[in-house]
This record gives sequence, C-alpha cells and structure tokens, in this order.
Amino acid sequence: MSETTKEEGLWSAVKELPANVWSSVFRNPVPVSDLDRASTSFTNFFLHIHPVKVHRNTLRPIYTLGLGLVSFFLFLILVVTGILLMFYYVPSTTQAYDRMLDLRGTVAFGIFLRNMHRWSAHGMVAMVFLHMCRVFFTAAYKKPREFNWVIGVLLLLVTLFLSFTGYLLPWDQLAFWAITVGTSIAGYAPLVGQEIKFVLLGDTTVGQEALLRFYVLHVAVLPVVLTLLMAIHFWRIRKDGGLSRPEPQGTPEAGIVKIRIEPGQAPEVAAQPAADAVQKRVFGLQGFVRGNFTKVGNVPDDSVYSWPNLLMAELFVFVLTVSIILTVSLLFNAPLEEPVNVMHPPNPAKAPWYFLGLQEMVSYSAFWGGIGVPGVMVALLVLVPYLDRNPKGVGRWFARERLLANTIFLSMVLLNVIFIIIGTFFRGPNWQFVSPF
Amino acid sequence: MPVAPKAPSKETDGEGGDFTRRRLLTWLSSVGLFGSAILSAFSNFVFIKPRATYGQPARFAAGKPEEFPPGTRVSLDVRRVCVVREGNKIAAISTTCTHLGCIVGVSDTGFACPCHGSRFDQDGNVTGGPAPKPLPWYKVSLKPNGDLEIDKGIEVQPGTYYNV
Repeated sequence: MSETTKEEGLWSAVKELPANVWSSVFRNPVPVSDLDRASTSFTNFFLHIHPVKVHRNTLRPIYTLGLGLVSFFLFLILVVTGILLMFYYVPSTTQAYDRMLDLRGTVAFGIFLRNMHRWSAHGMVAMVFLHMCRVFFTAAYKKPREFNWVIGVLLLLVTLFLSFTGYLLPWDQLAFWAITVGTSIAGYAPLVGQEIKFVLLGDTTVGQEALLRFYVLHVAVLPVVLTLLMAIHFWRIRKDGGLSRPEPQGTPEAGIVKIRIEPGQAPEVAAQPAADAVQKRVFGLQGFVRGNFTKVGNVPDDSVYSWPNLLMAELFVFVLTVSIILTVSLLFNAPLEEPVNVMHPPNPAKAPWYFLGLQEMVSYSAFWGGIGVPGVMVALLVLVPYLDRNPKGVGRWFARERLLANTIFLSMVLLNVIFIIIGTFFRGPNWQFVSPF
Repeated sequence: MPVAPKAPSKETDGEGGDFTRRRLLTWLSSVGLFGSAILSAFSNFVFIKPRATYGQPARFAAGKPEEFPPGTRVSLDVRRVCVVREGNKIAAISTTCTHLGCIVGVSDTGFACPCHGSRFDQDGNVTGGPAPKPLPWYKVSLKPNGDLEIDKGIEVQPGTYYNV
C-alpha cells in the first residue's frame, strides 16, 4: 500500500513539477484582487522597491514628465553598452584610437554599441538637468525632501564627471584638447588647484597616465558612486512619503487617534474632533510609525495600486527611452575626430556641448568662468531647499506663490543655455565671434 | 509578600551590563574606526599621487645654434617651446597658453591660442583674450658640446637673451 502512494506521490510531483517550480519562484499568481496586487509588489525582489500603492498624482505624466525615470533607464543602457564596449577597449595611448576604428570596422555591432553609449550619455546629462528643472518648478524639494534634492545635485555632478571622463577615452583630437582645457580649469582652483590637476592627470600634461586614470574613474569608481547615490535617492523618495504632490484640498487636518483597550471590551477608538473622517479606520502597526514616513489613515485615500498602474507607466517610459536611443543610434554615428596630435590643437578646440557654456565663460576669465561662477552656482543649487523655506506651492507647476524663486532659477537656466548656444554656434577659429547664418 | 520592583538605575544599557566599560569600549572603537578611515583616506591620496612621472624632462638639448639663423621664430611643438633668434641673441618662449594649457600657434604678430582666443605679441605679452599672464621665457644656455640647452624648469625675465 505504501508502495502505491509513493508511486502516486512521485507521479504527481513530476506532473506538478513545472507549476511547483513556477510558484516557488513567483510567490503570487497574476493578481486579480487588491490583496494579490499588494502582495505582488511586496514579495517580488524587483518590485518591492515600489510602494504597494502610489498616489494618483505620481502617475500624472504632466507632473513628472518621467524625467527621473528616463535618466535611470539611460543609466541602465549606459551600464550595459559600457560593459560590452569594455570587452574591446584598451586604455592605452597607442591602442585606444585603433580600438575605436575596430569598433567601426570589425567588431559586430561595434559602431552601434558605441553610438548607443554616446547618445545615451548625452541624453542622460540632458535628462538629469531637465529633471532638476522639473523638481524646482514644481517645488518638490521642500520639506521633508530637502536632502534628496542635495543628493540629486550630487547626482548631476557625478553624471557630468562621468561624461567628462568618458570623453577622453577615444583618444581623438576632441578628447585630448577638451580634457586639456578641462583639467586646466581645475588647476585654477585656489590653493589645491594644481595639486588636484596633477593627481587627476598623474602627470603634468594629458598623456598615458591621464588616460588610465580617467578609464578607472569612468568604468569603476564613478559608476559605483553614482549607483550608491541613486539608491539613496530612490530610497528617500519612499521614506519622504512618495513623490511630492499638492496638499489635499477640502479635507480636515488629521488629528491624533487614541485607542484605549480595556480587558473584556472591544477596543474603543476615540478621535479628536478634526479626525472625524478617519475615525472608523482600522490601524495596523504602520499607524505607529513616527513622523511623515508612512501615511496610513491620515490622508484621504487617493492612491492606486502599483501593480499594474505604476508598472505599466514605467514599462512605457522604458520602451520609449530604449526605442528613441535605438533609433538615434541607427541614424547618427557618434563623432570620432582625427587621432590625437599633441602638437596641434584643432581650431577652435571645443568641449562637449554641455561644457561649452563653461568654456564660453572661461574665455572671459579662467578663474571666474571656470571656478568662481560655477562654484557659486553649485553652492546655491545645494542650498536651494535651505534658503527657500516658503512652504507654499508644492506639487504645482510654476506656482504663483513662487514667482520670485522660479524667475531666479529660470534666468539661471536660460543664462546657461544662452552661453551654451553662443559657445556652440557663434564661436569660430581662435574663439572669435562668428555668425552661423 | 509582593516585592517592590527595583527602581532602574540612572545609567543602564538595557542588558544589565557595566555601562562605563561599555562606553569606554564604544569610545575606543569609534576612535579606531574614524581614525583608520581618516588614515586610509590620507594614504589613498598619497598612493594616487605619483612620485615619478613618465613625461618629458624639463631640460633638453635643442640643437646647434646654427640651426636657428638670425630672424627665426621656430616652434618646437613636441617641447612646447618657441626658439627665437635675433642677431646673435637666442631666447626660448613657452608655447603653452597661460590660460588653459593649449598650444599657441606662432603667427606674424606673435602667438595666438586656438582654444579661447588669447593673443600674445612677439615677446609673449598678452594683447587680447582671457590669458592672465604673458608666456614665460625659459633659460637658454650652451652645452659643452655646442648644443643649445633649454631648461623649462627655470623661468627668466622676458627679454633675457642668450648671446651666442
């Protein structure tokens, strides 16, 4: 008898094998109820970064424009294509440029991967910057999200530095002279400038040492720093109560709910008058979390389940990002100039477009253009949430109450854009003013 | 007879341990941790700052004076220096732009930088653009074998020529 049950048990185990394996990997079936939706987000490693529910406002495309998400997806593309390119790249002054030509000529999909990497890098710089503008114009950096803004500014700087270090690696004329100029700007920093320049280059001029150093920074050090900062950035979004949104309108301020438990009686819930709306709610342990961490019960429930609402939105942004990068990479080749000629800088020698504003400023004064003004700007950026303590206007584009702050920020942005346009289109040989028309 | 609960002493660690000893150990480990963090940050900096570089030597031979007939202004691009000869007087002017390190080109009126448009006259004085300083002049001398020797480690007053 025991023999037969064993047979049966084994047979059923074989029969149910696929289902059992599947259910051991994916704890939840495709959700059909709210409980399933919640537990899918909760129990899946890749999904548990999401809250179970998100506020409706988070999903309004017109509010976030998906810019942070696009930046993140571009970073993913950069990591994948970057690692693939590493298989063929050699950080040597004698080989680097030849390897670029190999990518073009012999490596399968080589030129395509390089295009994707280059265009994603440009895109990431632009998107991170636009994301910052979005956060400013919707006043999303206000309490309690001040520190996440600071992390964001650091992320912008690391992104720029990543782009800058990557720029040298092809070892073409543009790379060489852009880095020569860029590191010389660093040399103008007071007191430690020359020291920083020397450590960065590993020599007095841009050469083999600099190429190796920039390579290590580009493929190992900076990506790790960026990933860490990004993890903190995302984690704090959750801990700061999700994405910023306008204050709920027309609902009373939630009060403190007191629960008294007497033996032999049902728990009695006594709420302060203001909390009428939430009186009959049931509270879990999360209700006792301090501060503005989890908003259980004390906000009107205007949220939707992350599965599938948030996930679909993210998937859409991902597919859109990847398709645009793929299309651009098919249509346009990443530029590659002549191999490095240490003796003859191209005329004019121009930095990548996002540094052309800096280069334009540097052409007036090396210290003020390269260190003074950018330093003050970065310092102001970091301090923005601590200088602007006006709590109004959170979660709305160009709120009327923030006219002054928005005007100042917008003029800064426009100033940068104008400098970049001048540097890109209006500067010819010897950095003389030329008309592009 | 019910025993009155002992009033908790003021300083406890929640586990009945010796508070002062624990505090001492905490303090010691913190000092150790932060100390080694600062120390390793410092030694990392020492590590990545090269003690020797593989670049070009500052002092080099530039050839015989006869190779530079009177009136020449020849830019030795690899050395980043321009050799100027007027009559029997020879000087070496740097061709590294004092602005942001590009190589300036030798032009009829002096030097011009392609990167940010700095311009210098024949003696290296700034005549336009963002360059903050004139181009430095370097020490020129004659080696025993008759070669000119230029030492980029030693700057001289502009207008100081070596007579051959």
